[in-house]
Formats: sequence, structure tokens, C-alpha cells
Amino acid sequence: MLLPRFDYYEPATLEEALRLLSEMGGNARVIAGGTDLLVRMKLKVEKPGYLISLRKIPGLDAIVRRENHGVTIGPAVTAAELSRNELLLDRFTPIALAAGRLGAPVVRNRATIGGNLVNARPAADLPPACMVLDATLKLKSFSNEREIPVGEFFRGPGQTVIEPNELLVSIFAPIPAPWTGGAYIKLGARKALEISMVNVAVILTLQSPQGPIIDAKIALGAVAPTPVRAFAAEEFLIGRQPSDDVFAQAGVIGVGMCEPITDHRGTMEYRCLMIETLTSRALRQAYEKALTWKP
Amino acid sequence: MGDYRVLNTRAPRVDAVAKATGQAKYADDFSMPGMLHAAILQSPVAHARILHIDTSKAKKLAGVKAVVTSREAGLIKYGVSPARYDETLFAHDKVRYVGDEIAAVAAFDQATAQEALSLIKVDYEELPAVFDMFEAMKEGAPQIHAEFPGNMNAEVHQEFGDTEAALASCDYVVNHTFLNKRQDAAFIEPHSCLAVFDPSGRLTLYTSTQVPHYVMRTVAMTLQIPVGNVRVVKPYVGGGFGPKCEATPLEMSCGLLAKITGKPVKMTYTREQVFLHSRARHQFFAEMSLGVMKDGTMVALKNKAVLDGGAYTSFGIATVYYSGSLLGGPYKLRSMKYDGYRVYTNKPACGAQRGHGGVAHRACFEQLIDMTAEKIGMDPIEMRLKNIMTTGDMTVNELDMSSLGMKECIETIKAGSDWDNKKGKLPRGKGIGMACGFFVSGAGYPIYRSDTYHSTVVIKLSEDGGVANVLTGSAEIGQGSDTTMAMIAAETLGIPLDNVRVYSGDTDYSVDLGAYSSRQTLMTGHATKQAAEEIRNKIALYLSEELDVPVASITFSDGIVKFDGGAGNFDKLRTNYIKEHRGWTDPPSGEYLTFREAARLAYLKAGTIVGTGKYKPPKLGGSYKGAAVGTSPAYGCSAQIVEVSVDLETGQITIDAMTDAHDCGLAINRTSVEGQMQGSLSMGLGECLFEQVKFDSRGRIINPSLGEYKIPTALDMPKVKSIIVESNEPNGPYGAKEVGEGAIMPTIPAILNAIYDATGVRVNELPVTSERLFMTLKKKAEEA
Repeated sequence: MLLPRFDYYEPATLEEALRLLSEMGGNARVIAGGTDLLVRMKLKVEKPGYLISLRKIPGLDAIVRRENHGVTIGPAVTAAELSRNELLLDRFTPIALAAGRLGAPVVRNRATIGGNLVNARPAADLPPACMVLDATLKLKSFSNEREIPVGEFFRGPGQTVIEPNELLVSIFAPIPAPWTGGAYIKLGARKALEISMVNVAVILTLQSPQGPIIDAKIALGAVAPTPVRAFAAEEFLIGRQPSDDVFAQAGVIGVGMCEPITDHRGTMEYRCLMIETLTSRALRQAYEKALTWKP
Repeated sequence: MGDYRVLNTRAPRVDAVAKATGQAKYADDFSMPGMLHAAILQSPVAHARILHIDTSKAKKLAGVKAVVTSREAGLIKYGVSPARYDETLFAHDKVRYVGDEIAAVAAFDQATAQEALSLIKVDYEELPAVFDMFEAMKEGAPQIHAEFPGNMNAEVHQEFGDTEAALASCDYVVNHTFLNKRQDAAFIEPHSCLAVFDPSGRLTLYTSTQVPHYVMRTVAMTLQIPVGNVRVVKPYVGGGFGPKCEATPLEMSCGLLAKITGKPVKMTYTREQVFLHSRARHQFFAEMSLGVMKDGTMVALKNKAVLDGGAYTSFGIATVYYSGSLLGGPYKLRSMKYDGYRVYTNKPACGAQRGHGGVAHRACFEQLIDMTAEKIGMDPIEMRLKNIMTTGDMTVNELDMSSLGMKECIETIKAGSDWDNKKGKLPRGKGIGMACGFFVSGAGYPIYRSDTYHSTVVIKLSEDGGVANVLTGSAEIGQGSDTTMAMIAAETLGIPLDNVRVYSGDTDYSVDLGAYSSRQTLMTGHATKQAAEEIRNKIALYLSEELDVPVASITFSDGIVKFDGGAGNFDKLRTNYIKEHRGWTDPPSGEYLTFREAARLAYLKAGTIVGTGKYKPPKLGGSYKGAAVGTSPAYGCSAQIVEVSVDLETGQITIDAMTDAHDCGLAINRTSVEGQMQGSLSMGLGECLFEQVKFDSRGRIINPSLGEYKIPTALDMPKVKSIIVESNEPNGPYGAKEVGEGAIMPTIPAILNAIYDATGVRVNELPVTSERLFMTLKKKAEEA
């Protein structure tokens, strides 16, 4: 399959990239790993006149710890890098785990967190993980800059609030409270190279190893046009003592937040049943991880 | 087993360096000066009358050199089996599936060729289409071929013994049904072809195929070129598995465009086009009844098959016969009845794929045996062993098991998997299952009726005496046939493997029917052995005359000639050789005469030394209709045990371990045999758990990519214990027979039997996705 014709730019600075974006607007697409975009271009689903590459812009591929308050992740950090980063594995577990389940090694070596968020596929791995970690996205244009919570970023399949002249320049996540654990579970047909039938990211914070639960965040993917938070299930959990029964009840409530579709990967009925099972399972895993928390 | 120097080892593949370094050239790597790029226009609708085709705009596009339709190609019918030629290169009156070929263009680059396609205007009158095989059989269904009313492509009815009476006499009759899904073979290299038509009127195709010989014949027929003027060259091939067993519209279009333009023409299918061309595994529906006595003796099998053939026949006639004939063994039956139906639908044509026609029915049968064993309270292994055939047995449908290590395979995996301590003793969610199967070592008859040899081989010694050049038309497609032939030649000539070079895959070298029906080790192997023996005899005769020793006293091994097992007195020959080769860098030394010296001196006396070999099977099989399908000079067999874990809350299945034993006769190359065993398991696992070509309501494939068509990844494959069981096949070269396809037979039913052991539910439809298993479990729980 041939790529359609396009002009290709490799700006060396962020400012240059933003200027190109503001000039070309809707006719340009930003390319990082290209694992999604190039496939869509070969299929002629997208025919941008211009591609603006991020590869020469310094600093976009860095994971930077912000003292004791959080982490900043550059949009061009690859899934492979996220999946093996020790800080992320320890404190921002869902991001590292979700990145490790994205595609297969060759895809993870190219695919980036920025691409995974901006593409806004309903079944994507990283959006639910970023949502439970309360991540904030910084969007920049040539003349403007704004920050937006990841939960307000997605609008529908392939749709986000990002403007054609804006670039996602960083993802910030605050460091979770002590006695927090996280988990990510993905259900697909096979063990790698999968598009989720259902995925679940969870963060659970305990007051102490003896409980109770003082904070919980649950986000689900592939169950609605955008990834969704299971707020009712979260509220149910807060203040309760962790137990299998409580986690199971939270799973049942979680299903209520979802409106999965039937497609060739799975039926609505099965997806709903799996939301329930996987939510309670992810909560159990997050709880076990929280118990191993170290200062 | 003999005391072999080369055979039965783990010799590295002869193409290892070329492949590992990237020097190996595949069809798409080829390029020629002035080469044109071609593309095919394929139907966007599943069933329609073609009212008009307008190519004028495409022809006018700058850079376009030719546009062809049925007007240029003609309407010569072709196919695989001459009994059912139902295709023309380009559709003329109707299109019958999304992807049916309508026109082809050649242009100076691929982008121009694609643009030209978009300028061809086709007026269609859409017709009602039918996509389901059972719907297609109903009265009033859309008719796809006027010549085949009721969409009935082929029907088979066979009976051996009186099955109804035999079933009536049984203590138990157990029934089962089974439905698999249409597969794609998912070879890594898409079809690709470069065609060159030279001014003398000769067409050469460099093409990714399993069968240069059949491609040569079909292309000669459809393009109206004398068969002697068509040469097919198969470069390295990245997998075939069956769907590359026939000439493709890609090859014929390239040939036609090269003939018309006088320029080299190349085309490569996209992955989507590979799915559209298909010719892979059919969808089968199996319905069976097995009758047994209380003591576990199998008596009678009734078997019905319905095959979704897609829009054309391809290999389908053979396929629908195989679904019946390949259940004749490896268990003794007194009677067997088979009714098979292959049905046309408005989808891409299905053809042959690893385990041709036998896999789905084997899966049904081997589940049925487990169900029956459970009913009579017998261990499924015990029941199989009670009925097992052994060497020398003949099936009810007259297949001759000239060697059969089936019993040894079963006993080996039973011990190798600790069956006795696991069967029936594992916790819920864990299961163990087993199954058996067998397959042909080469079809007993060519696809077209002919007295042709199935394989001929020429071996020519280099004039320095140092190298044996093996020339064969056989097809190395990744399975290792070149290495096999090199090892057979080296063993027979008594020279090191390094001193053999194989030139293969070219119709100019020899006649060989190609890589299908697991035939080359046995058939090309026989011809190679015979050619090498002729050379060995010529050299022995020369030495006998020169040294005045009996021919029978001369032996060759490791590149050395021995006389009565010792060095003998060959001073005269060595002196002659050294005189002849003054100044050469590698004078012979040592206490023995070398093969190279002997071969060089023999050349000096008699000229170039050439040996030829040939093979065709003896007349095989019974005299009933369809008796030819399933016959083979020999049968390989295998048994497998699979252990699974089932996540009862999600239905997800993990295959924990597989133990596989295969009887391949003598294992020519032990590593290659294990590779075939493991590859078969992987393919069977994929079909069982994941794979399905899916269509939308208008007959378009939804998942024509290796992202969405899910074959197993490395993470899905368990640890495999591959155990080679070696019988001595009297009809095989050095006792060798097949491994390439038979090894897939037990995989699906062994997994399904293990899932049953783990969960108590029988899933009778593939693929066993987590959803299918979970919902089956849920339904059973609700019923209880």
C-alpha cells in the first residue's frame, strides 16, 4: 500500500513546530511514532497535506520527576520507555502497566503517550491509566497555552478538545498519596498485539494498611465512545474497608457507568459482565499493591 | 535404522546464511530495467451483473502502458481440478464476490497504476447475494453459477459396509456436531510475481508459489502459450501453507501484461488482497455418529460435511473428499458412511490449507471419541489404544498403513505428560486432553490426470569432482526441502553436506509437482536418492575397472572411498590425479582415496557425470468413485496432549503445555521435523482459539490485516515437548515420510478435550474465544 503524497517537516524547536502548526492548521498532522497515523494514511482514511515530526525537538521524550509533587511526561515518550520506568512502575503503576500491554515490543518502541492520547481511540490503553492518575495535559499553540484535565480531553472516538493549531506538549500527574496502589487489566483475544474488549485502570488509596479506603479512582476503556470514570463505584468505595465483597459490589456499580457496543470483537452483554469482573479484580490488585507501599 | 553420517542429524539449513544475512531474495525483491508495475481492479460488490466496463480514461492516463479486461484475456476457463474449471482470469458477465478480478493495468510506477484503476468505470447491476452456506442450499437462494443449480459445487456419497445396520447393532451411538470458521493462512510474504516475456516468445515468471509446475501449466493454458515456452522460477518463499498451491490472477495478469507490453511486469498483493484471494481453509460443518460396543470397540462411523466453498472451486473437490476419506484411520472401523457437500457462496474461494480437508472433521471425531469413552466409563487413551491400527493395517476405504507408529506416539505422550496422574485429577479450571491424527505423505495422484512422474531430479557432479549439484523443480517454501534433498544426496553419495548444492524451484530443472500434500520428502526424496545412486554407481564402476576390484567392495562415506572397508591400493589413481593437477592449491592427501579424486578421474575418462532419478507412486487405492483422494504411498501420524487453564470468571484460556509425538518415519533432519511439529501446533492453536475471517452484511472482509486477524503470538504459545517417533516406512526414501501437515490434526481436538476436562462444557464451534467459552459456561450454570 502506498502513502498518499504529503510534505514532511522536521522542526528543530518547539516554537518552530507551533508556528508550522498555526500556519497549516487543519491540513497538517503531527507525527511521533506514526504507528496509528501511517496506517490510517495508507488506508486513505487520513490524507494530510503536511506531516510535522517531533523527532528533532529536544525534551519531548523525557520523564521528569517534580520533587515530591508529581511527574511530567513528554508526549514523545515511547510506550516501551513508560513500561520500564521505575518511578512510573512504583508510583504511577497504571501508566506503566498499560504501556506494557500496548501492542507488541516493536509497536511499543515507536508508539508514544502523546499519540495514544490524541488519537482518542475508545479502546486505547493509556487514557484510562492517565485518568485515574488525575493527569493534566498542557496544550500549546503559537500564541497560547492552556492546561486541561485528561478527563475533559476526550470528546468521542478520535475526537478531543485539541485545536488544529495546538500541540500536546506535556502530561503532568500529581504523586498519589501514601498507601496508594494501582492496577491495569486488559481483556483481549490473545496475549499481545491486542485491541481491548474491555480495559480497566484503578487507583486505590488506604488510610493505612488496615484501611479504610480513602480514595478510589476507576476508569474503563472500550465501554463507551470515550474512556469513562466509574464515579459511582468510586464513591461507594470511599470510607469502606477493603474486601472481596466490597470490590465485587464496586464492579457491579461500575457496569452502570458504561454503554458498550456489540462489534466483531465482543458483544455488549459479555463486555458488561467483564467490566464487573475486571473492575473487582483490578481493585483487588490495586489493594495488594497499596499494601506494599513504601515511603 | 541405518548408521547414517548425514541423515537423522540436526544439520543447519543450507539456506541459513542467505536468510540470516538478508541475501535471500524474495519475488518482490526482484527488479529489472524498464519494469512496469501492475495492479488489479477488484469488485467492490459481492454479486452483480457487469453491464459495461469503460477503460478509455485509464488508458489515456500518462504512464499507463496497458489496461486489460476479459476482452484482452479471453474467456478460457481454468481452476485447480480439470473436473471443475469455473474461473476466468477476469470476470466478464458477473462478479461473484467482493474481490473478484475485473481488469488489470500496467504503468511505469505503482501510484500511476493505482490511479488508472480508479479511472476504470464499471457499471454493475447488483444481484441478491448469499453468504451463508446453509442459506445458499435453500430453495430460492441467489444462484451463483448457472451450471451448478442449488449452488451445489460438489457432492460426495461414499459408504463402506452397511453403516446403518452396524450402528443398529452397537451398544452405544454417540452424536456430535462441529463448526469451524474460515481461516487465512497468514503467511508472512504476500503473493508477488515478476513476469518477463522475451522476444523469442518465452514467458518467465518469478513468483511466490508452492507449485511452479502447476503454475506453468495453468498460465500456459490461460495465456495460450505453448507449455514449453513458459518457465516458472520460484525464488525464496515466505510461507505458503496451501493457498499458494495454484496459479493466481496475479501471476496470469503479470504474464498477460508482459506479453502485451513486451516489458517486465511486477505486482505484489497487499495484505488485504491476500485475504481477498483467500484459497485458505474452508468453513466446515461436521455432523457425526460413532457406534461402539460396551467394551469400547469402535464399529461404525457416520459422517456428514457441509463446506462453504466461496465463489469458485479452487481445490474444493479434493477438500470435500478429504473430509471423509481422512477419517478412515487410525482406528479400526467396520463400516463408514460419508456424505459431503461443497456449497458456493458470494465470498472469496476457499482451497487447501495445512491438513487439507481433514482438520475440522478430525476435531469433531476426536471429541466424539472422548464423549464416547466418557459414556462407557473408559479412559480416552485406553479407548483409542483398543482400536488403534498398526503397521500393515488397511482402512475400510482402502488406505494402506504401510508403517504406522500411532500406538508408539500415544504411549510416548502418555508417559511424557504424566497423563495418569493428571487425567480426572486436576482442579476445576485446569484440564488435560488428547487426540490423534494421520495424514498423507504426498497425494497418490497428480491434480490433473496423467502418467507423469511426480518428481524427477538431475544431479550433476562438478567437473573438478568436488561438488554435487542437485537440480530439482521442487519448492523450498521455508519448510526446509532444499536441506532435505541436500542431506539425502550427501548421504547417498557418501560426501559431506557442504559438498552438495541444491538448485530448486525452477521448471527448467526438472518435473516436480511441488510443495503440497506433504509430498516432497518422500517423492522428491526418492528421485534425489535414485539420482545420487546412479552417480555413485558410475564412479564405483570406473574405480572397479581402473583398479580391477569388484564393484561390491567399494563404499563411499564422509567424502572418502573405501575398498573392502579399508584404504585399498589406489596409488596409481593418486599419482595420476596429482600429475593432472600440478600447481593446484589443495592436493589430496591422507590414507584414503577421496571422492573428489575419484569423481574427477571418472570425469576425465567419461565426461561430465550426471545421475537422474524419478518417482511416481504405484497404483494406489480402491476402485470406488473418489478412491484416489486420500491415497498415498505412506502415512505419517501423531498424538498430542494439551494442558489448559481456564479463567472461569472471564472464559480466557491459557494453553499451559503441549506434548506432541509424531511418526515421520526416519527423521531426515531432526530440527526441521520439530520445526514442522511446532509450527503445526501454533497454527492449530490459532484456529482453535482466535482465528476467523469475518465479513460484514455485504460480504466485505472486516479484518483483512494481521492486526485484526489474530494468529498466535509468541506469548500465546506454551512450552512444547516435541517427541519424534521413528517407524521405518518401506515406501519412503531411507524410511522417511511426512510431518508438515499431519502434526496439525490432533491440536484442535486435544485443546477442546482439555477445555472439557477443565470446565465440563463442550464447545462445538470455533474459535473458542473467551466470550464463547464464558457464555457457554454461563448457559450451563443457568440450566443447572
